[in-house]
Amino acid sequence: MAALFTEGFLLGLSTGFYCLVSCLPLLLPYVLAEGRSSWKTNGFILLQFLIGRFAAYMLFAALATWAGKAGQYEMPGWVLPASLCACGVLMMFLAIARVRGLEAPCLLKKDLGPLFKRLPVALGFATGINICPPFAAGLLRLMGLADFARGTVYFCGFYAATSLFMSPVLLGTPWISNRVREIGRLTLLLAGLWYCGLGLAGLLR
Amino acid sequence: MAFSGEDEHRLPSALLFAGLILALTAPLSVLMAGRETHFLYALAWSLFTASMAFGIRFTGRTATFRRIFFAVSALAFLFHLKHGLFTGGRIGYCIDAAVKATPYCHISMASFLPERIHQEFIAAKIGMWPVFWGPIKLAAVWLLVTLAIGRAWCSWICCFGGINDGFCAIPRRPLLKLGPWAFRLRDLPAALLIFMLLAAIGYSMPVFCMWLCPLKTTTPFADPENASRLVQYALAFVGVVALALVPLLTGKKIFCAYLCPFSAWQALWGRLNPFRVSADPGKCVSCTLCTTACPMNAMKTGPEGKPVPGAYCNLCGDCVRDCPHGAMRYSIAGLTLPPRNGVFGSLLTAEYLYVFAALTLGTVFSALWGPAALKDLAALFGFN
Repeated sequence: MAALFTEGFLLGLSTGFYCLVSCLPLLLPYVLAEGRSSWKTNGFILLQFLIGRFAAYMLFAALATWAGKAGQYEMPGWVLPASLCACGVLMMFLAIARVRGLEAPCLLKKDLGPLFKRLPVALGFATGINICPPFAAGLLRLMGLADFARGTVYFCGFYAATSLFMSPVLLGTPWISNRVREIGRLTLLLAGLWYCGLGLAGLLR
Repeated sequence: MAFSGEDEHRLPSALLFAGLILALTAPLSVLMAGRETHFLYALAWSLFTASMAFGIRFTGRTATFRRIFFAVSALAFLFHLKHGLFTGGRIGYCIDAAVKATPYCHISMASFLPERIHQEFIAAKIGMWPVFWGPIKLAAVWLLVTLAIGRAWCSWICCFGGINDGFCAIPRRPLLKLGPWAFRLRDLPAALLIFMLLAAIGYSMPVFCMWLCPLKTTTPFADPENASRLVQYALAFVGVVALALVPLLTGKKIFCAYLCPFSAWQALWGRLNPFRVSADPGKCVSCTLCTTACPMNAMKTGPEGKPVPGAYCNLCGDCVRDCPHGAMRYSIAGLTLPPRNGVFGSLLTAEYLYVFAALTLGTVFSALWGPAALKDLAALFGFN
């Protein structure tokens, strides 16, 4: 088991930069838009994001193990672009509702609902199920293992190493001000549009 | 600085100012224009800019002559670029073949530089540094110009800015007035810059060139996939509208103020340079004419309604020109130099030092396309 954890960890360490660039266009604008100049607040956002990502990884570990056991090595083609789309819509919705001076949609007038309070978890989950090249390499290994317990340990190692690469998003914490939050919200809107466009393009192909 | 009848040194001082600019820019322009363009074209380009320097000192109308220089330079860029494309000629503002590697346009540099640095780092690790000399050279030039004139890059050098600036000067009165939303979206370039930095690093591609650039100066952009290509054309059209049509209607530099990530990049790094436009609180009567005049929507309201040029101010001087009380002025880190007399002494003001630096660098930079455009024009009329 330790060897499997290490194997996953090393794969994550060697390819973590790609995980970072896949998640950064989403995570950084979110931290800028919703964060504060407090390490605690931003650290909590990152933690929620990582929890969502962890849930997605474990789900994939289970699915890949099941697929490996069943000898099924393919997944429906619409799942990934649909998750990108959902991710983009969430980001745009949040950005539009929070841009200063604009009237928020009626659902959000009083307060952001419980779902939106845990938005980092949802965003983490949505990015977690988007397969980047290192993630795909891990999945193939998991299918080969076809064992839930061993697969989970392997993916835990992979997840732990790639999560280390997410920590630089906290570096801007001391500079987060009202103006930076406004800029973050506009960036969130642009990134949402981008993710939506990518997802739609994938769905229409 | 308005014209003053008491300025007895006006003519000799203007001649000296123009002579200094010509002496400095002529050899550098010849060098920049390269071997393919006869030196007389480069000399003609330098003479044109020296005449602008003369106009600025003789009339005191910095903003007016800056705009003429800037718009003509941008027109020359556009003419030379498109002429080169249609006639199959060399797109002559490249310094050498390496520069042609995507991207070398300064706007894309803002969002693509970290990706380039990463590539160079990888190349250095395997002993292949440098991979791309062009972007490195461009980054060095950018740093030099930023240290010398800061945010004035956007009002004296940038070819996109020149087109935007020229169009927004055409209407006498704007047909459309921008609402308060225009101020709320004022940080859109900063958001675009952050997003493009992330996307360029994440996807290893020049996002601005491929999706937003209205002129498509550098990258073969068309995506082979039909729907994506349609979106690319649509976004490029939005860029053209922001570059030409909306400035005609509003009198504001909409592309520079809202869509150019480089304007945010330059607003950040331009702080390194000490030249500023500032308001003299003793003379300012809070009439807000400067706010209306600002083509970048960069003027903020400070205490007692006094104007405070914001981070996006690119020192174009329109507020200095339009202030009826002479309250807006150029300064060096907020300070003005003590007045001096004499032909040379009268040039030692913050405004003329700034114009000298900006016009010199503007001329040298535009020598990459200005003389070539003159040559194209001559060829069009049958002179070779």
